[in-house]
Amino acid sequence: MNAQNTENKPVVKRESKNRIRVDFDRTPLKDRLKARFLNFYFLSRIVIWIFRFVLMVGISYIVLYPFLTKIAGSVMAPEDFVDVTVRLIPKHFTLDIYRAIASELGYWAAFRNTFILSLISAVFQTLICALIGYGFAKFKFKGRNLVFLLVILTMIIPHQTMRLSMYMEFRYFDILGLIRLFKGGGIQLFGHNIKNLGAVAEQVDEAGNVIREAKPGWLAPFFEKLDILRFAHKETAIQDGVTVKKTVWDDTLRLFKYQIERRGRMFDRYRVEVEFTQSGANLINTYVPMFLLSLGGLGFKNGLYIFLFRQFFRGIPDELEESAYIDGSGTFRTFVRIILPLSVPMLITVFLFSFCWQWTDEFYTNLFFPSDTVNMLVKLVGNIPASLKTDYAGQELYYSAIRNTCGLMIIFPLVIIYGFLQRFLVQGIEQSGLAN
Amino acid sequence: MTTEMGQSVQQPASVKKKRRKKVSLDSRKARAGWMFILPFVLGFILIYLPMVIESIRFSFSDLTIESGSFNTTFVGFQNYRRAFLEDPKYAQILIKGLQKLAFDIPAIIIFSLFMAIMLNQKMMGRGVFRAIFFIPVILSTGIMESISSMDILSTYMEGGEGIDDGSGTSTATQLVSSMDLQRLFSNMKVGTEIVDYVTNAINNIYDIVNRSGVQMLIFLSGLQSISPAIYESCKIDGATAWETFWKITFPMITPMILVNAVYTVIDSFTSEKNTVMSYISGVYSQPDGRELSAAMSWIYFMIVIAIVGVVAAILSAFVFYQRKSE
Repeated sequence: MNAQNTENKPVVKRESKNRIRVDFDRTPLKDRLKARFLNFYFLSRIVIWIFRFVLMVGISYIVLYPFLTKIAGSVMAPEDFVDVTVRLIPKHFTLDIYRAIASELGYWAAFRNTFILSLISAVFQTLICALIGYGFAKFKFKGRNLVFLLVILTMIIPHQTMRLSMYMEFRYFDILGLIRLFKGGGIQLFGHNIKNLGAVAEQVDEAGNVIREAKPGWLAPFFEKLDILRFAHKETAIQDGVTVKKTVWDDTLRLFKYQIERRGRMFDRYRVEVEFTQSGANLINTYVPMFLLSLGGLGFKNGLYIFLFRQFFRGIPDELEESAYIDGSGTFRTFVRIILPLSVPMLITVFLFSFCWQWTDEFYTNLFFPSDTVNMLVKLVGNIPASLKTDYAGQELYYSAIRNTCGLMIIFPLVIIYGFLQRFLVQGIEQSGLAN
Repeated sequence: MTTEMGQSVQQPASVKKKRRKKVSLDSRKARAGWMFILPFVLGFILIYLPMVIESIRFSFSDLTIESGSFNTTFVGFQNYRRAFLEDPKYAQILIKGLQKLAFDIPAIIIFSLFMAIMLNQKMMGRGVFRAIFFIPVILSTGIMESISSMDILSTYMEGGEGIDDGSGTSTATQLVSSMDLQRLFSNMKVGTEIVDYVTNAINNIYDIVNRSGVQMLIFLSGLQSISPAIYESCKIDGATAWETFWKITFPMITPMILVNAVYTVIDSFTSEKNTVMSYISGVYSQPDGRELSAAMSWIYFMIVIAIVGVVAAILSAFVFYQRKSE
């Protein structure tokens, strides 16, 4: 509409020694702006932009709001919960709840226990799942799909289903009946104790009378005596003012709290206690069950990690490994030296998932650490510090605030880790090329 | 000459090799593959499988724990019968849980796809929004979930805050009153079921946002792997954004929809927040409820498997796989 200056030739307006100024007969600024901003295309883009931005901000608000209320509640004094004029902004700012939880509920000990558990499991899970995912992605072998189906199966079976048997498995832990064997409990096969090795089986007639009694076989006494799993621990005792150090042999590997004196101060120390009996080792209240599950790629949500790694490694071109093989590198070496450095974002993503999910996980923690002596972070929730107990009106709300504060203190380290690692999260997933 | 020289130099090595059994590259790679998945295979056979078998055995038996050991006696289907016939709540909760799932899966899938497409576009503050949207994946799991499920603090905080219409219903979790939406939709002449569905979805938005984190990530990666060249050629041919979405993005993302649907089913079935799961967990802590809970969860597992199978079968009929030109 404004482009009617076709006949007009450009006018040379001013000429200096080395510069000319040419003036086209341009349309007026007002019209130009009109043409630029008042068309449908531009307007629709503006509308979409605003719509999108508002939507994003709205959903961000939904995500962040619960955390805001938790933070607000955590710094309120009990008076604020009965005051109707106080909502999100506290009138009496106090850090009492934080202080009480940290000092009275044994937060730091729980923190350390959880940290050890989560860190080591997460490292195991990340590396093992990477290994397994690589095996599924890059090698063709018979039964691959079947085994992968089993991976999916471990994901589908609700862990509630396994709760009892998982507890039993690790309460009476025994791989292939080895512990039983070494403790003189005989050999176990498919859940049946065949201690009477070489024995004549019991024979019963229709009426239930024993015709032939079962006799212990010739191997049985040998197994009865076989008891190799013994552990020693050193004990220091003070007898009559003299410090006596002695080595004690027993059936256990203990996790118990003891104190040592160093530089005039007493320090708490822990030791693993595993009880080896004829019916297996008692691994409850130790880190061992979680580590074992992690090493087998069976930990919390490991199926998902294996799946993610599998998809990720599929996206890596085969030529890369082939050239490495031609250069004489073995498969494992290629994996460690070439593939792993390429997949750092994905490794960090999975590490982030496994660390954080393990950190906040209740199921495995409550299952494997039922004892009160081993404190874990998730077990703090629901406990009310003694100094904060109140009887008056806002009690329920106040207790709820304490619970929430406890939650905040649990996830606080995760927030920091997330802040550092979140850019890898999207990067790692983006590179994974899941659709291949 | 030179080749002969080379051969003669190589001879000792080849003689040495001959003694070893010759293995083809394929079978060597197969063996390497087994080595890589060995941790899982060992863990599965030595730890997981015994647990599964034990669990099935427990569900068929009566368990007594003595000091140092435990005894089981086979009781047949008694636990299963108890779960269905004697327990008044179990079947009811199971059906309710399934209904909720039928409602949740489409909502989560649609929402996460929508958000993934949003987050995939170039826009102001994309990094910040991404960081915020993935917070629930990391933080609102496990213990945080159970804290917020019995939380009265946030409802209290919402109570008197912001725009209060006096009815006491203006909460952040209840963004729209269904009345308003019904009015809106009744003008548009759509069924009330859809209206209810949409209002429910919007009012449960916090829950849905929380649970669609991983799905969002999977969709994002799917979107990233679509070649930009396809979009470019579409643009050249004059396709609108709407057409591009339905003809390109959607078909290319269908495998991810399948993966996400299966993942969502599994995730919502096995999460602690699931009503059936928490009910079973409650049964577990009752005296002599352990075997019963095992039986209940096996029934539950069979249903999960069936649903995963059905969902996968239905969706895989619609999945479009891009054929790679060899």
